[in-house]
Amino acid sequence: MTAENKGGRDSFADAGRSKASEPPSPELKKERDAFIQSFFQKGAQLTQDLVSENARLRHRLANVERENAQLLAQVKSDDAIRELLKKIDGLEREKEQLLSHYRRAEAESTRWVGEYEQMEGELANFANLYVASHQLHSSLGLAATARRIKELLEQLMGASMFAVYLASSDGRKLVPIVSDGIDHPKAVPVKPDDGGIGEVFTTAVSRIEKGDLTRGSLDHPLALVPMKTEDKVIGVLAVFATLEQKPKFMPVDYELFKLLGAHAGGALIGARLFADAGHKIPSFDSLFDAEM
Amino acid sequence: MADYSCLIVEDSPMMRQLIVFALARVKNLRVTEADDGVDGLRKLASSRFDIIITDINMPIMDGLKLVKRVRSDPIHQGTPIVIITTEGSQEDRQRALQLGANAYITKPIQAPQVIAKVKELLKIE
Repeated sequence: MTAENKGGRDSFADAGRSKASEPPSPELKKERDAFIQSFFQKGAQLTQDLVSENARLRHRLANVERENAQLLAQVKSDDAIRELLKKIDGLEREKEQLLSHYRRAEAESTRWVGEYEQMEGELANFANLYVASHQLHSSLGLAATARRIKELLEQLMGASMFAVYLASSDGRKLVPIVSDGIDHPKAVPVKPDDGGIGEVFTTAVSRIEKGDLTRGSLDHPLALVPMKTEDKVIGVLAVFATLEQKPKFMPVDYELFKLLGAHAGGALIGARLFADAGHKIPSFDSLFDAEM
Repeated sequence: MADYSCLIVEDSPMMRQLIVFALARVKNLRVTEADDGVDGLRKLASSRFDIIITDINMPIMDGLKLVKRVRSDPIHQGTPIVIITTEGSQEDRQRALQLGANAYITKPIQAPQVIAKVKELLKIE
């Protein structure tokens, strides 16, 4: 430090001391008071601003924290949703597999039910044929055999107007020996080309209506079946009308017609011969003596 | 040992045999046969039956008279009755049902139909 500098500083201190000892001028005092007032006002304003800013920042922080919490919750929720979606996918696949199994099982079950019903139907048809055959041959009495043929046609096949014709001994006409629903059935002449009973007798070919049975009448037979014994036609079975509830011949009816065609004639002839023999059962010897 | 018993009243041996064959498909069902309405009443007097199957047109006593008698009998009045007949008209059906028959089946019969009706009335699965 130089001497000049040292001297300068002292003179300034002296000046200050001299001024402090003197009362400030009113202008200066006024200026000082205004300065102090302004200073404190600015300080108060600044403090006020700081407090406000602090409050705003606190509010903002609270908002940010809340938003953050929400975002965190959402992320967690999204994870849970993703997990759930994955589970739903798995369950959907499982459901598809189960549905596929179910559909296969249902188809199988339907197939079995169909086969079961078909078998039940076939069993019922066999039962019909068995009963018809059994009843047809269960008697050697002429009246009983004729009655059973009637029952078979009426009760098993639903015929309401029918007749069973046998050829006369000269073979020129067919005589009704069993009938129902016809007043005074008449014998019909055997004509090979009459398109009806006579023709079926001559040709030995059945004529059975395959469609609607409601239009049957004496002039329009629904079924004409030749009755054979030992490959020889001995008569004709004719159905002219069926019961109201029988609109169509069923498959079993065709089989019953075949059975009647093959057995009814034989049963009637057997019954007739048995009656001629005085209802005597042949002895074992007479059976043995016959050509066997 | 049969769980159920059935009385068939039918004058035609052929139909009786056919119905017996059909009902053989129903498990634990004992079947008794009667030739006509009077024979049916005789059998009803000596045994109890869970179901009765009857024809309408029969000699001596027809099926409708039998239905009437059964419905007025305190022991059998609740027994289900199935009519099996050739009479297919709506009037015949109505008359039989009004007299107390539970079901009406027309001939020619289909065995599965008879089986189903008997099972239904006996409440067999």
